[in-house]
Amino acid sequence: MSSPSSSLERAIAFAPTPAGLEAALEILERAAPGSSAATLRREALARYAEVPAPPGSSARGWRHNYADLPFEGLRWSSERVAIDDRPNRTETASAEDGEGFWSGGLFHLGSTYFAPRRTDRVDPRIIVVPLDDAAHERPDLVGPLRGTIVDWRTDKFAALATAFENCGAFVYVPDGVVLEAPILLAWAGRDRNDPEAVFPHVVVALGAGARATVVEQIVGHGDGLACGIVEVHVGPGAQLDYVALQSADEGTRLLMRRGAACEAGATVRWHLADLGGALARDVVDARLAAPDARAEISALFFNTGWQHVDLATTVEHASPRTSSTTVVRSAATDRGQGRYLGNIAILAGAHGTDASLRDDALLLSSNAHIDSIPALEIAANDVKAFHGATIGSLDEDEIFYVQSRGIARPEAIRMVALGFFEPAIARFPSERLREQIRVALDAKIDAATEQPE
Amino acid sequence: MAERGLKIIDLRASVDGKEILRGIDLEVEPGSVHALMGPNGSGKSTLAFALSGHPRYTVLGGSATLDGESLLALPPDRRAKAGLFLSFQYPAAIPGVSVANFLRTARSAVQPEDLAPAKFRKLIFEQVEALDMDPGFLGRYVNDGFSGGEKKRLEMLQMTMLAPKYAILDETDSGLDIDALRAVGNSVRGLRKSEAGRETGFLIITHYPRILEHIAADRVHVMVDGRIVKSGGPELADEIERVGYDALRDEISGNVVA
Repeated sequence: MSSPSSSLERAIAFAPTPAGLEAALEILERAAPGSSAATLRREALARYAEVPAPPGSSARGWRHNYADLPFEGLRWSSERVAIDDRPNRTETASAEDGEGFWSGGLFHLGSTYFAPRRTDRVDPRIIVVPLDDAAHERPDLVGPLRGTIVDWRTDKFAALATAFENCGAFVYVPDGVVLEAPILLAWAGRDRNDPEAVFPHVVVALGAGARATVVEQIVGHGDGLACGIVEVHVGPGAQLDYVALQSADEGTRLLMRRGAACEAGATVRWHLADLGGALARDVVDARLAAPDARAEISALFFNTGWQHVDLATTVEHASPRTSSTTVVRSAATDRGQGRYLGNIAILAGAHGTDASLRDDALLLSSNAHIDSIPALEIAANDVKAFHGATIGSLDEDEIFYVQSRGIARPEAIRMVALGFFEPAIARFPSERLREQIRVALDAKIDAATEQPE
Repeated sequence: MAERGLKIIDLRASVDGKEILRGIDLEVEPGSVHALMGPNGSGKSTLAFALSGHPRYTVLGGSATLDGESLLALPPDRRAKAGLFLSFQYPAAIPGVSVANFLRTARSAVQPEDLAPAKFRKLIFEQVEALDMDPGFLGRYVNDGFSGGEKKRLEMLQMTMLAPKYAILDETDSGLDIDALRAVGNSVRGLRKSEAGRETGFLIITHYPRILEHIAADRVHVMVDGRIVKSGGPELADEIERVGYDALRDEISGNVVA
């Protein structure tokens, strides 16, 4: 394996302090003089210090305090490596995996972007480049979007991500372009024994009538940190499927904030699968501020071991005839902890809105815990809104039924538990992704059922 | 070789601490059809669940063997592997698990390395057609949102795919219209005619004799208050239809008194 050793010389110990930021700025200035966005970053760090931490869960087994997350021992760097040799060991699908399967992609080890050996694989109609390149080359496209959909000024960890941003991607699909194959944005851990702090910033823009699928994948990262922002803008009548598939190592913390803005008749579909990490905080918004816009959110997580997932989804209906469907399936076993905040806000004037939220949680051990907190706020007339939530354990009658067909109990439990996730899995946009999720869930069920309760 | 048959001797069982089965003796020979009739609450379904190993049902005494293999200490899946099948009166829904996937998993559990995938598909489509079902059925989730008739058809589809040595049909006829009832009769007859099901023995639990117009019983047993109180040939079912369980109960208690 050819390792990007040069990046190590440009690394500092991460610290979310003014001194830590100045050290980072020095590296950024050396790499690209005059484009470090120092003022913005300093302002963002100040906001990080000022904005209160989100409340943790009050559940007894919850082990993380957002006001006091330890960030020691993390390496921060900012570099791209233009090497021809792709590393042999990759834990994720690479942009070259599967001839013709991807329309394009960006691949990172830690925060380091690898220029793919064959960039000609990117569909020539679209742009898929590192965010900083795009900001430099296409300020007309990036300027109006970057930092405008997710408000880092009011979100502590989005402010942190803005201050220490060290990688990112820009995806642009022009008017009328319909992509069959998805775009891959991948972040793999570089070295489990040398954890990094990775701050990605993704901006996706679809022109009028465009259609695309973006698959964001985060794997590995050891005891590292991934704290990032994803902003998507869906043009009139366009349709975007954005998949965020996370199977980080059991020591990784992920603090991700994603937001979507939809124009008239546009559809955004968020698909989230949190399968790894010690702590995964996933905050996802869809703002429907133009008529007939639509949001679909499907999310699933399965916490084993000591994993915590903190998921929050918000759909804001701010225009007439907007619609949304939210489907969340979660499970926890061992000492897994989960929290789901599902918000639907129907603002005044959003008449004809149709919103639904369905959230089901499955507890597989007595030490596991999931909180489910739906919130529905309606300030318009003539709307349809539905929400329903359940929390339960496995149904012994279902297990018995499966067993009575000759299927042994562990396999019966696996079948019923996997089936429980299926309504959320089924909404993911390709069979390949669905199968990848099923396999990952299957492995987690294996690991869980092997342990005596 | 051990003596064949599904043999139940002095079986006693309770549910939630209440004794329901109070000494059942019954033997279903290979290839035979036995009907077990009785009023509601007589313990017929309890017998089916106790034999299948439902965790809520506690066996208090007696024995049950399948071709010589003792069933009562086995978990439910091992009983199925031994060759026992229960068609549920109220089958559970398994959301997220397709009928096709479920059948494939069950078949390979009960009869490992038995059918190549292509042959399995052929067999399943034949059975679906024989049961007058839409092939789209195979892609639906097991019993999820199924009508009563669809649930019973799926039970029959599973029975024919698993080709058990002994099948217990627990009120498979209840709530069925005449077409569904005929389909049930067809699948039992189809299984009995097939190579795999030639020697399958049946225990048909029913409240009403009408299913026996579609499946001819060799023996009929009447169960009242957790005991089999009368056994006879097919004519016993006719008698029940004519006089009802109450008359039979009176006759029996009269006998006891006498």
